[in-house]
Order: sequence, then structure tokens, then C-alpha cells
Amino acid sequence: MLTKQQTVRTALLEALPLALAIAAYGLSYGVLATQAHWSLWSTILMSLLVFSGSVQLVIVAMFISGAALPSMLITVVLLNLRNLLYGAALADNLAPASRKYRWLLAFGVSDESFVLGNIRYQKYGADPLYFGVVAGTFYSAWVVASYIGAYLGDLIDPVRWGLDLAFPITFVALLIPALTHKPIIATAITALGMASLLHHMMPNSEFNLILTGIIAPLVGLYIARRSHHG
Amino acid sequence: MAEPWVLIIVLCIVTFLSRLMGVEMMAGRVLNPTLRLYFNFIPIAIMVALIVDQIFTTNHGSSSISLPILGGSIVAALMIKVTRSFLLTVVIGILVGLGIRYWLHI
Repeated sequence: MLTKQQTVRTALLEALPLALAIAAYGLSYGVLATQAHWSLWSTILMSLLVFSGSVQLVIVAMFISGAALPSMLITVVLLNLRNLLYGAALADNLAPASRKYRWLLAFGVSDESFVLGNIRYQKYGADPLYFGVVAGTFYSAWVVASYIGAYLGDLIDPVRWGLDLAFPITFVALLIPALTHKPIIATAITALGMASLLHHMMPNSEFNLILTGIIAPLVGLYIARRSHHG
Repeated sequence: MAEPWVLIIVLCIVTFLSRLMGVEMMAGRVLNPTLRLYFNFIPIAIMVALIVDQIFTTNHGSSSISLPILGGSIVAALMIKVTRSFLLTVVIGILVGLGIRYWLHI
């Protein structure tokens, strides 16, 4: 039986490398939010209240390109669908916690905390404390890094320092390491073709993003099924 | 829109609800593996669409390719493959983009 102290220590130790990666994204988010001419307060408030790298980065990009609220909402709902999966997988892990604490822990569900929480669950069974420490560490890293990024972004002239280039380049740096399997690569290639075509047909349409987000993954699914059966 | 307060509050609610629904309502359910894959592929497609959107710039209805962004993105793709360092990749990608921009005088 592990003591609480041991659990906290292990959680901190295992969360640290990922917290550094999260801080790097947080830094980029902060810098990019200044590109949208958001104040320091709005930038940090979003990190405090939303705490989601993909949602925040995508929304800031859409905000800059002048997207309307409804299309931002649809995109965020699409991005958030995978939280249902994570929650479903984490539910047993968090079950021993009281309802209040569980709701708080639910706020900490993200790509990274899901991965660590799930590994822990498979090794030691339900451990809400471990998940809480991991999520808290990620949350702190995310908020502090967003603040530093926004502060730095405010200090310098964005175009002179090429910060307007930071968006696509940040996304490329996030995307490429994720292209590990054929179905994911197929999804990305389809999205590339589709988004280019749609842009050509209807430049400036916000629906391009939503259409691509809904349809391109279907090709990935098709490839996944085919290689599964073949 | 001076400050995106409303947007932030709405996103906070939508995102939190998705997390809460997962933990509270999906408990113990085994999700269809196809749906699981589909959900995981969505962010990839959206990220690609956003990159494409940035590479093509639109001026008065006609679109053209932004060479600084395209060049920076290609170098970043190679850099992340080779170095696996996120921050280094972003910095080098931006420098390459800036270089192209100054070289083309745009």
C-alpha cells in the first residue's frame, strides 16, 4: 500500500517532463494571444477557465482570421468530443473521490493527464489523488507559461520578430510528431487536400475548417478498417 | 470585439461540460472503437486545415501562397523530425520564415 506522500511524490515526478512540454505550448499560446490583440488579463483568464491547449490555440487562430462565434463553437465542440472518451476511460479511476472533488478533477481532464492517469490506473487501480496532483501540476504549468508568453508577446513588435509566422509553425511542430500511424497520416493528407480545395473554391469561409474537421477523419477511419481487415 | 470575455466564458462552459459528461455519464461504458478512432482523428484534421488556411493568404477575393509561411512550415516539419525539440523547432521555423520575408522584401 502506498502512502499519500509517496503518491504525491511519484505524481510530481512523472508529471514534470510533460509539464515542461505543456509549458512550451503555453508559452506559444500566450505569445499568439497577443497577436489577436487580447489583453494580458483575457489571455490568462482563458488559460485559467478553459485549460485546453488545442481549444485555446485553435480559437485564437480563428479569432485572428475573424471567425464568427457560431463556427468557433462548432469547432470547439468537435475538439472536445475526445474529452468524452477520456472521461469514460478515467471514470473508474476517479470514482472513489467525493462528488465535489470529482467535478474538480473532471476540470483537469486533458490529453496528457489522461495518459498518465490511465497508466497509473492500470498499474495500481483507482487513484484520484495521483490524478489530482498530475492535473494540478499541468494546470500550474499551463497558466504560468501563458502569462510569460503573453508578457513577452506584449513587449516586442510582432511582425518584426516574425510572431505572425509563429502560428502555422507552432501547429506544424505539434502536428508532425502525431503522424505515427497510417490512418492518422491519411487523415492529415486528406485534410490537406480538402482544405486547399475548399480554400480555392470558397476563400475566407469558416465552414472550410468545420467541413474538413468532420470529413477528413472518415478517410482515416476507412484506412484503419481496411488495414485491420487486411 | 474589444475583449473576448463572452467567448472565454462560453468556451469554459462547453469545454468543462464535455469533461464532466465524460467522467459522470460515460462511466463504465465501452465506447465503440470506430467512434473512438474518429474522435481522435478530428484534432489532426482541424490542425491541418488551420495550417492550410495560414499558408494561403487572401487578398480581395484572390488567394496566393505565403512563401515565408510555407518555407518556415516545411523547415519546421523537418526540424521536429530531426531534433524532436518543440521550442527549437518553432524558433528556427520563425527565423527561416523571417529570412524569406526579408529576402523577398515583403
